[in-house]
Amino acid sequence: MEYASIEREIRIEAAPEVVFGVVSSPEHLKEWWPDEAEYPPVEGGSGRIGFHQDGGAVQWEQFTVVDARPPRTFSFRWTHAEGEEAAPGNSFLVVFDLEPDGEGTLLRMTETGFRERGWTEAVAAQAHADHVAGWDFFLPRLPVYAAKVAR
Amino acid sequence: MSTLVDDDLWSAVGDPTRRRMIDLLLADGSGTATGLSERLPVTRQAVAKHLAVLDRVGLVHAGTAGRERRYRVDERQLARAVAQLNAVGSAWDSRLERIKRIAESIQQTTEDKE
Repeated sequence: MEYASIEREIRIEAAPEVVFGVVSSPEHLKEWWPDEAEYPPVEGGSGRIGFHQDGGAVQWEQFTVVDARPPRTFSFRWTHAEGEEAAPGNSFLVVFDLEPDGEGTLLRMTETGFRERGWTEAVAAQAHADHVAGWDFFLPRLPVYAAKVAR
Repeated sequence: MSTLVDDDLWSAVGDPTRRRMIDLLLADGSGTATGLSERLPVTRQAVAKHLAVLDRVGLVHAGTAGRERRYRVDERQLARAVAQLNAVGSAWDSRLERIKRIAESIQQTTEDKE
């Protein structure tokens, strides 16, 4: 079965060890995504991330680390219901792959799970977050592929 | 906008064969199950099933012209599906930009100390 996914690739002028810390540690996660992050950044580590709502409430989402292999891979599942074990069908899977690239790092991100779960929730969970003009085309892997061909 | 509709809409475009069919219908303006099956590695019956899925979520509409039903893409509904995908995608674009900024500034700080 094919799951829909979002795929992105970005080059970072920092060593994989540094990038790994930024994508995996709760302290850093709060700098680039949720307002709150409470989880042990180790394989199987379970916790939650929180988004501040208007009026002071916090919208919490469950968060479970799937894989933590520094400095190459960090992946997690999120948005499963509280008390449920994170698994395909009840959560989104985000995978970061880090590849050394000269002095820097090639960071690849995929988020999958939309097909099973529906993505209205994904949009809602991020609604407060980001407004960026980074439009690309229907098939998110296309620009990645195009960049490879153009290289 | 109900969750159910959006789930179905996303399932409909989550399948590569159906996306290919949408591409073909957009390029040609319209098409029939027979016409599409000739250009895809699937049977006419399979194409007809996929068209039914797309029809159910409003991504295509059928009209009758001659013996076979002709399908067209509903571009408004397609735009809606694309906008939803892009909302998730652009959220990740800005997160990754922040990850890049943070990591590079840490790297810079470390190098300055050395």
